[in-house]
Amino acid sequence: MNSADIIALLPLILLTLATIAVMLAISFKRSHGLAAGLTALGFTATFLLLPAISRVAPHPVTPIYLVDTFGLFFSGLLLAASLVVTLLAYGYYETRSGFREEFYLLLLMSAMGGLVLVGSTHLVSLFIGLELLSVPLYTMVGFSRTARRSLEAALKYLVLAGVSSAFLLFGMALLFAATGSMDFSRILEMGRSGDASSTPLMAGLALIGVAVGFKLAIVPFHLWTPDVYEGAPAPTTSFVATVSKGAMTAVLLRLYLLAGGVIPDSTVTIFSILAILSMFTGNLLALMQNNVKRVLAYSSISHLGYLLVAFLAGGEYAVEAVTFYLTAYMVTSLGTFGIIALLSDREGEPELLQDYSGLFWRNPVAAGLFSLFLLSLAGIPMTAGFIGKFYLFAAGVDHSAWLLIGSLVINSAIGLFLLPPDCRFHVCRSRRKSHTNPSAGKRSGKPARADARFCGYFLVWGLPRVPDSSDPQRDNRLNSAYHSF
Amino acid sequence: MLSLLWLVPTLPFLGFLILLLFGDRMTKTLVGIIGAGSVGLSALLTMVIGYQFLASPPPDHAFTQVLWTWFEVGGFRPEIAFRLDALSLVMASVVTFVGFLIHLYSIGYMHEDSSFSRFFAEMNLFVCMMLVLVLGDNLLLLYVGWEGVGLCSYLLIGFWYQEPANCTAAQKAFIVTRVGDTAMAIGFFLLVTQLGTLQVQDLMHKAGEMWEPGSGMAVAATLLLLGGAVGKSGQLPLQTWLPDAMAGPTPVSALIHAATMVTAGVYLIARTHALFALAPSVQFLVAVIGALTLLLAGFSALVQTDIKRILAYSTISQIGYMFLALGVGAWSAGMFHFMTHAFFKALLFLAAGAVIHALHHEQNIFKMGGLAKQLPVVFWTFLIGAGCLASIPLITSGFYSKDAILWYAFSSEGGSIWLWMAGLAGAFFTSIYTFRMVFIAFLGEPKGHIHHRPGPVMLVPLVVLAFLALFSGFIELPHNFAPVQMFSNLMDTVFHSHGHSHEEHSSAALEGILQLTAGIVSLIGVAAAYFLFLKDPSKVEKISSTPAGSFLQGFLLRGWDFDRLYDTLFVNPLMALARINKGDIVDSLYNGLASLTQMGHYRLKWIQNGAVRWYAAGLALGAVILLGVFIFT
Repeated sequence: MNSADIIALLPLILLTLATIAVMLAISFKRSHGLAAGLTALGFTATFLLLPAISRVAPHPVTPIYLVDTFGLFFSGLLLAASLVVTLLAYGYYETRSGFREEFYLLLLMSAMGGLVLVGSTHLVSLFIGLELLSVPLYTMVGFSRTARRSLEAALKYLVLAGVSSAFLLFGMALLFAATGSMDFSRILEMGRSGDASSTPLMAGLALIGVAVGFKLAIVPFHLWTPDVYEGAPAPTTSFVATVSKGAMTAVLLRLYLLAGGVIPDSTVTIFSILAILSMFTGNLLALMQNNVKRVLAYSSISHLGYLLVAFLAGGEYAVEAVTFYLTAYMVTSLGTFGIIALLSDREGEPELLQDYSGLFWRNPVAAGLFSLFLLSLAGIPMTAGFIGKFYLFAAGVDHSAWLLIGSLVINSAIGLFLLPPDCRFHVCRSRRKSHTNPSAGKRSGKPARADARFCGYFLVWGLPRVPDSSDPQRDNRLNSAYHSF
Repeated sequence: MLSLLWLVPTLPFLGFLILLLFGDRMTKTLVGIIGAGSVGLSALLTMVIGYQFLASPPPDHAFTQVLWTWFEVGGFRPEIAFRLDALSLVMASVVTFVGFLIHLYSIGYMHEDSSFSRFFAEMNLFVCMMLVLVLGDNLLLLYVGWEGVGLCSYLLIGFWYQEPANCTAAQKAFIVTRVGDTAMAIGFFLLVTQLGTLQVQDLMHKAGEMWEPGSGMAVAATLLLLGGAVGKSGQLPLQTWLPDAMAGPTPVSALIHAATMVTAGVYLIARTHALFALAPSVQFLVAVIGALTLLLAGFSALVQTDIKRILAYSTISQIGYMFLALGVGAWSAGMFHFMTHAFFKALLFLAAGAVIHALHHEQNIFKMGGLAKQLPVVFWTFLIGAGCLASIPLITSGFYSKDAILWYAFSSEGGSIWLWMAGLAGAFFTSIYTFRMVFIAFLGEPKGHIHHRPGPVMLVPLVVLAFLALFSGFIELPHNFAPVQMFSNLMDTVFHSHGHSHEEHSSAALEGILQLTAGIVSLIGVAAAYFLFLKDPSKVEKISSTPAGSFLQGFLLRGWDFDRLYDTLFVNPLMALARINKGDIVDSLYNGLASLTQMGHYRLKWIQNGAVRWYAAGLALGAVILLGVFIFT
């Protein structure tokens, strides 16, 4: 292992060090602030290192892990999201008693799993990364040990994720049997040239597709989503919604790039159907739903459906469209769950829509930001969500994927119907005694509020600068990612 | 300094934000300081920028400031950019400076009002939007500003919303201008799709390259733009909203419905003058509309009794002059009249407001009378404004600007003796109705009781505007007077060769004769007003008491019965349709869609039953489907 290898692996090394540091800190002295601080420091330091590391990129460390600008970009995205989750968790757990420090340990490890995933070029690293990402999540979902629903969610997640991992492993075994290789590009190459025996290869891909679909919560692998979203503590939910799905999308995107930006026709049909099903199922289920976390779960199902549209449309816009949509989606999701975490107190989280009525009069900043996030999720102009959708439409129209575009249009309309009433809810003065304590917003700590606000600023001000020529850095990263294959 | 251009619209916007958020908790003094101060600073900045622009002109006599790109997708690249050239400089200067004086005046005028901060918030927003409109570099910003001022106009006409009539007037203004706005929006779409750019300058350039003069595209585009312009500027056939818009507070009428917003149509045509030059037939139509409007509105102004309605009709008529100028290709003369009109009409409105304020909201001129002695400053400033409006020869700015229009209406390529005669007749009626107002309201026997006298905060803007109204004419003298053509020289940097090719085939002597005629006509008008309304009003009464006379009076009073015509033609049929369709047939489609999706929800709900075995079965089912599809296709 030479020095370039070490540099390339620095993000993983740093996160490992941070994990050990948090572990040691817990064993010497239990301090919530210290644990959260060390975690935040670990994420920040790693994030800040990324530009330096991009100088050695692209650099394969062993045949299974590639450090390139593509991976680094997504690493940055995941690290930023993890940092926000850390802040949310700090605000959230500060008002709660009991053992809280271990949460950060799990968070660090799970984020590390995400980093492994975005750099993986090999089935082995894919599996390691996925498990490293998932296993801590089981505990994180069940972290509210005294809440029945949290434990139930953890158990469901554990069982179902176990099933999906089994599918993944079997799929990998089939691929290896068919191609004799575990390297992505090699497998894809053999698949294209037709050298490999086709049945095991296709079966393997299908089974891996099951695992990917499970992680991304695509219909029909989506059933776990609402229960887990609802049961898990809000910071965990935000992590599941962003880091976990983001890492998986990165893997998909890498496979797409390795395949040269082409998806075989047979796959297009089935994935189109799944995308359309996801959109409709997510939106329809969210329609009459009264629980905000479940609404967001369903909405995430439909959003991943939208995301698939960009893939399926293919072409040169796809990478840009997927990346932009994912980023906007992550920011918005973090924001919404951040607001939920922000408004939580010892008695629980504000889950029902009614809990938010009159929010504007109790906490105008939170209400304004929440509305902003919801509007962005619905894709209202001037928000990131709008530009993300614009990309999807552009990508779809470019490739005349009219069925997909039609579903996208219909679902955007249903999504619109879905979200703005929430905003209206904020302003209506409620006569009912609200579950949420009026001072709830004040109690649950500044960091959570600060990062919610940060997301808001990004949405409004950050976006005009994102589109390509005006952000050369991102563009370069994407381009080099594109050309490095 | 030019790079501070973005601050010019931003300052009033900040004022708006502050007043919107914290206005309720501020004292009236603070509200006044922020409301007037933000526009004042903006005016100061505009002056400094304008000075620098004139002293050391940027290349091409235009400065573009790109603030940021909104987004860029597939070659569509709307920029947030401001452009300063001679045209937008003149517009922005008038908007900020006259706007500032009116804001200052409003501190006194609106002082008793309980919604003081709301008033200034909306006024500040208006100034911001107007600046966006005139400074915007592309159609998108232009449109934002255009609709923004429309919104503010709506809000401010209905400012006293407790009175249902005011709300009706506000709605009328909004809906009638909307008719034009829709045409304009379609025109914009046409331009963007045909020429492929949002940038106004690029559009003009490309239109010149791609479209033959008189081609169908150019005619269609300019006709649609003209639709927007006549709506906003209260020209035929969409002029009906402007007299009713006087329901707003008088400073609003002065700022929005006299000096600035209603001239947006003039600005739009001037800004896209290259397009209109490609469609000579439409350009001629502009002149005809202007000539007809100035006559029609002038007649109506003759019989009005409400001082603000007289001024409103005179505004319509004066904008008619501007359209006439644009229609004959005298771009710079049209803009010059815009400027002088902004000064003297704002002055007239503010002075009328001072009278209305003093007489406790009395607007009928026949209940005024003898105000000259009671309110001397108001009288003299009003007289100066009236002199400018009636274009009293040599000493008033109105004479110079109107004379330029009349001259070009006669002599330019697009002009004709008919247009000139229409303008001349309009000038005659203008001076009659103007001095009718002066004689009846300010001279004669006192009839009303003065409640409160205007304080200095109201008088200072009057005096400043009176000064500007008198002397702003001297920066642009007729060619046969003296070689002082500062204004048109400045404007030539925007309009280039357009509009000035006609100077050769005209003689100084002819110009002199026409000027003399115009001057005499306006003086005769004043004299006629004196004999008819001050010396011996019995004759007028005698005529108006005859059946034909009273019918004519009522007909003109109602603005040629356009309202009744439109009610019969459009409003009533539409209302009848609405009544028939009370249940809304179209809605049932959407309601059906909504219940369909709702049904979908209930049909789907059962899949989320919370049982892990069912969820795992879902996974397995998915796996089977995927396997099947992957293996067998």
